[in-house]
Amino acid sequence: MKLLNSLDELFKEIDIHQNKAISFHHHLRNGDLVINQVLEKYHSHHVQEIALFPSAIFPSYQMIKRLLEQDQIAHITTNYISGGVADYLSNQGKENILTMQTHGGRARAIIEGKSKIDIAFIAAPSVNYKGDAIGYKGPSKCGSLGYAIADSEYAKIVVLLTDHLVDEEFDRVEIHGSNVDYVVSLDKIGDPSGIVSGTTNITTNPIGVKIAKQTARFLEDIDVIKDGFSFQSGAGGISLKVTAELENYMKIKQITASFFSGGITGYHVGLLERGLVDKLYDVQCFDLTAIDSLSRNKNHIPISASKYANPADIDQVIKDLDVVILGATEIDLDFNVNVTTDSHGIIMGGSGGHSDTASEAKVSVIVSPLFKGRLPIIKKHVTTITTLGKHIDVLVTERGIAINPLRKDLLEKCKQSLLKIKTIEELYQEAINYTGIPKDVTRSDVQIGVIEDRTYDKIDRLYRK
Amino acid sequence: MARSYLFIPGNTPSMLQHANVFDSDAVIIDLEDSVSLQKKHEARRLVFEYLTKYYDSSIEIYIRINDPSTPFFEADVALLDGLPINGYVLPKATKDTVLLLSRMTKKPLIAIIESAYSVVTLEDIAKIESIKGLLLGAEDYTTDMNIERTIDGEELIYVRSRLAIYAKAYNKEAIDTPFTMKDDEEGLKKDILRAKALGLHSKSVIHPNHVTLVNQLMSPSESLVLWATRVLKKKAMTSKGAFSLDGKMVDEPIIKKAQKIIDEVKKYS
Repeated sequence: MKLLNSLDELFKEIDIHQNKAISFHHHLRNGDLVINQVLEKYHSHHVQEIALFPSAIFPSYQMIKRLLEQDQIAHITTNYISGGVADYLSNQGKENILTMQTHGGRARAIIEGKSKIDIAFIAAPSVNYKGDAIGYKGPSKCGSLGYAIADSEYAKIVVLLTDHLVDEEFDRVEIHGSNVDYVVSLDKIGDPSGIVSGTTNITTNPIGVKIAKQTARFLEDIDVIKDGFSFQSGAGGISLKVTAELENYMKIKQITASFFSGGITGYHVGLLERGLVDKLYDVQCFDLTAIDSLSRNKNHIPISASKYANPADIDQVIKDLDVVILGATEIDLDFNVNVTTDSHGIIMGGSGGHSDTASEAKVSVIVSPLFKGRLPIIKKHVTTITTLGKHIDVLVTERGIAINPLRKDLLEKCKQSLLKIKTIEELYQEAINYTGIPKDVTRSDVQIGVIEDRTYDKIDRLYRK
Repeated sequence: MARSYLFIPGNTPSMLQHANVFDSDAVIIDLEDSVSLQKKHEARRLVFEYLTKYYDSSIEIYIRINDPSTPFFEADVALLDGLPINGYVLPKATKDTVLLLSRMTKKPLIAIIESAYSVVTLEDIAKIESIKGLLLGAEDYTTDMNIERTIDGEELIYVRSRLAIYAKAYNKEAIDTPFTMKDDEEGLKKDILRAKALGLHSKSVIHPNHVTLVNQLMSPSESLVLWATRVLKKKAMTSKGAFSLDGKMVDEPIIKKAQKIIDEVKKYS
């Protein structure tokens, strides 16, 4: 491991033109100051045919757009895109430039050599003299570094970029110095105001509250909320409200969950501290409370994306997941879900762990209002398939609950339920009764990319507008 | 009888389209306080178009029109009276305004009691045939009385009691005032129980998140349902007019009360 003081020093050690397959993690989210600094070097060195492997792309990652405009990028493989890069790709992206993977699929592809990475550029909030790194300390702390672990173990060259070099041993090393080739000291790797997510409030919107209450009652009715159950709910307002509703039920019934997984918020930490869940398996911290908890609570455990959701990893946490609560931009009559594009086909997100968790959890629940704005969420066919309908078990809306006919066991369990159980076709009719049938959106025939499931199957295509 | 009456602003399409999703037994679409003077005509037309196209018979629908002292009152009734709604809610009700509205429509009326004068003349209002219910408007009432509206509602004990008694005497519904603190669930719970203890068995609601608790607490309690079930079961097993249960005498009025509880449970389950 070699310590360097700038990216210029790094590119004196490494031939930038020979190392064009490069990866980044997105734990610093919109506060990431590393990716733009690194890509500025690729831009100024006029590197062509870059293969980019960021685990996600946020609006602040503007250098990616600049490189696209200069036609310096050959391909992007990622899990989620929002902001200017998403708009650029949807409107001007060249043919077959994009592969959208899942979080588990990305880790699998790196580990199995399908995604060959020359340099993993890893923003590291704290690095010690051995090159070990953690994410939960330092001025740019972000919590778990789960999405960067596979990169650190399988990239040809591993570069840590840090603004916090320390002379101490770490309790829970996430990136091991033995895998690290260079540590580059930078003035600043992150802007704390952009690192934490702004979406970790429990919803008080009446529609969201209604959906959350219905979801909690549904889960109680099918008898999955019992001692030792496991759960993942994400950081959306409705998902957190479901968790809050379940907390009340758990207290009354004296139920303790075995683990919660995925993206962790302060609310999840509260449940851990109140003894309602034994362990938090954290692949991504969503707020400062979660980050601080990671540094002090031994049952709040950072995990890699592979251990989280790689179907080929024998330690995969979500294979034991009982219930996952997920969102949807669109869902169709076959229960296929889109969280990648809007209804005009413009990219505005991606799977993240959507398909991973839906595939593995014993019960996968989509929570969503029946219409958003004046558009029904249910369509005959989704614009883009992010998660296959065979993995989606239930849709909960404010007007009723639809159970995938493939889940006869759940339908049977709900026969006596007082909840409004309907078919998805009935909910669709109810929605279009209010909204009418939205006009089909026209798109070009230029295919800009594919949706690759965690199985490596290409389950849909993305087109230029 | 409805346990909950949810106010829905008449000028907000996104709320109107959700009028039937919050599980309230009844909704009151509002053309009065929640609609500014400039938007009255627009809101009236919106409500008319909405109910013409999306009327849902599974829920009781009332419209709070503007009171007769406003220039909007007659136009409200003229446009809306052909709709299959369950009735009107009349703000600032007095005997005279209720009679005026009764001559213009055959629909049932809910009178909002929100002034000292209306409280004093409550009996005159309650006995009017078209009156279906009396709804306490505590905000305007406390303003009229120049008293503070408090979280504990002690200032409402008399008016709540009076309203409940006159409603009961003339077989009308007694509907409590809304609880205005949106996120204070504990306060809401106490407020419902206070009203219920005084004989108001319905409550108006201005935030959809309050509906579940109102429905729950305005329904007969589990122990009451169990008692009523046992009363009716024992009645079915005996030919006697009066009998004993748990050491207490049960006769016709008590059997009627038990039957009423079971009917209520059936209606709302």
